[in-house]
Amino acid sequence: MLNFLKQVGDYAKETAQAAKFIGQGLSVTFDHMKRRPVTVQYPYEKVIPSERYRGRIHFEFDKCIACEVCVRVCPINLPVVDWEFNRETKKKTLNHYSIDFGVCIFCGNCVEYCPTNCLSMTEEYELASYDRHNLNYDNVALGRLPYKVTEDPMVTPMREFAYLPKGVMDPHDLPKGTQRAGRLPKDILAEINAETAKKETAEATSENSQ
Amino acid sequence: MTPGIDLQGTFVRALTDLGLPAGAAKTVWIPLPMVLMLIVATVSIFICVWLERKISAAAQQRIGPEYVGPLGALQAVADGIKLIFKADITPAKADPWLFVIGPSIVVIPVFLSFLIVPFGQNLVITDLGIGIFLWIALSSIAPIGLLMAGYSSNNKYSLLGGLRAAAQSISYEIPLALAVLAVVMMSNGLSTIDIVNQQSDYGILGWNIWRQPVGFVIFWISALAECERLPFDLPEAEEELVAGYQTEYTGMKFGLFYVGSYVNLMLSALIVSVLYLGGWSFPIPVKAITGLLGISETAPVVQIIAASLGIVMTMLKAYLLVFLTILLRWTVPRVRIDQLLDLGWKFLLPVSLVNLLVTAGLKLVFPVAFGG
Repeated sequence: MLNFLKQVGDYAKETAQAAKFIGQGLSVTFDHMKRRPVTVQYPYEKVIPSERYRGRIHFEFDKCIACEVCVRVCPINLPVVDWEFNRETKKKTLNHYSIDFGVCIFCGNCVEYCPTNCLSMTEEYELASYDRHNLNYDNVALGRLPYKVTEDPMVTPMREFAYLPKGVMDPHDLPKGTQRAGRLPKDILAEINAETAKKETAEATSENSQ
Repeated sequence: MTPGIDLQGTFVRALTDLGLPAGAAKTVWIPLPMVLMLIVATVSIFICVWLERKISAAAQQRIGPEYVGPLGALQAVADGIKLIFKADITPAKADPWLFVIGPSIVVIPVFLSFLIVPFGQNLVITDLGIGIFLWIALSSIAPIGLLMAGYSSNNKYSLLGGLRAAAQSISYEIPLALAVLAVVMMSNGLSTIDIVNQQSDYGILGWNIWRQPVGFVIFWISALAECERLPFDLPEAEEELVAGYQTEYTGMKFGLFYVGSYVNLMLSALIVSVLYLGGWSFPIPVKAITGLLGISETAPVVQIIAASLGIVMTMLKAYLLVFLTILLRWTVPRVRIDQLLDLGWKFLLPVSLVNLLVTAGLKLVFPVAFGG
């Protein structure tokens, strides 16, 4: 009898606990309703990609020396480098270069290792196409520069979360000229340059006086 | 109890004054409230869909529909028009008759149940003696339609979905009926009008939710299961069953299921507000307000205000409950089929039986408070 009562009591306790947890969950959901939407209305508004955004790869044909380092560092040997050895100049001449962005994982190794910096990452990410073969970019397509979001008159550019002023969560309707939290890299760099310049001039003057 | 506005009486009298026989005048009257109720039910779909999408969006910090109509209010209309123009496909080897009849059997009882939903003392299509029992009876027709739809689709997912829907509806019908029975016992009548009148004497304090808190919770859980709303939407659980019994349906036949589910949600919310939240009664009884202001309760202005207040109150309570279901949808995870049946048979059924017994006992001990 006592055992049965204990079972009933435990069951009731569990039920009460379940009800309590559902109540807590409801209050969490209700709290979320008061928060501001984080939506960026995509075709009309676009987030500005960050400086180190790894988008579609840009290629400069004239800089390339056909060394094939990009092929070797690529996880799947993706770039296709078509070159010929020119016996007169004793140099390789590049005929074609292509990367298939349907296969590329945008790791950026080729950009990192390119000895002549002929590869670089752009901020282009809208690569959708009706045919996957269209994603195989040749050297002409790779040489095109993307249209900047900030210069597109059809688009309202939105700043990313890390680029908003301190305490601001919403990129909409920011007043003009607001800066992100913390100091900008170019300011820090300018300060460092100024300091080293001062030190150098001080050293120079002390050397002169000696 | 004051009779309130009697639209039917005045309408029939006006027509008989014009020279129509009383029978003809009544026949002219009959379709009017029905059409009105159909319109109310149909509009409630759009409101429910809009609420669902907007509240879901708010809970997930999105915006939701925005461009179709003001604040995206016409999104459901756009969806409906799209469904009408879609190709109507009957799958190969499906049973064409059952496949067509299934959705209509799901939808028709839901609309029929609006017969007994009262918005005021006389603002109801029919004040049937069996009232709330009609709703229970009609709501057990829907699983037959679901099973038909699932079985005739010639698709294993549809069949499993249909079977699950039938199992779920049948198991939750029982606690639902028992919870209603406790309320009926307190109000000594099945008529929805009687049930509301019994609650309306002391304003918010007289509502059944204070006397039947357990019954309210049981009824609400069972109603959610009957509507196949989350967390009980496993007949349509897309991770397991694609879309359950709806898998093979396209166009307006699919639209009928969609319509049925939202009207059923609205209906359940209305019934909960009638059974437990005092129906059309205002939190402070109208009699007390008129007494305080020193106006006669039968004055025409008071009657009109009271009637419109009643409609607003019923709707407000129902939509608050709809809001709660949407909030629950994004809070509670879906239960498994065995958990669902466990909850229905091993928890809700015994608890509702105990609730019924306790109510009966309290009715004998405190006949004043429990409608002796």
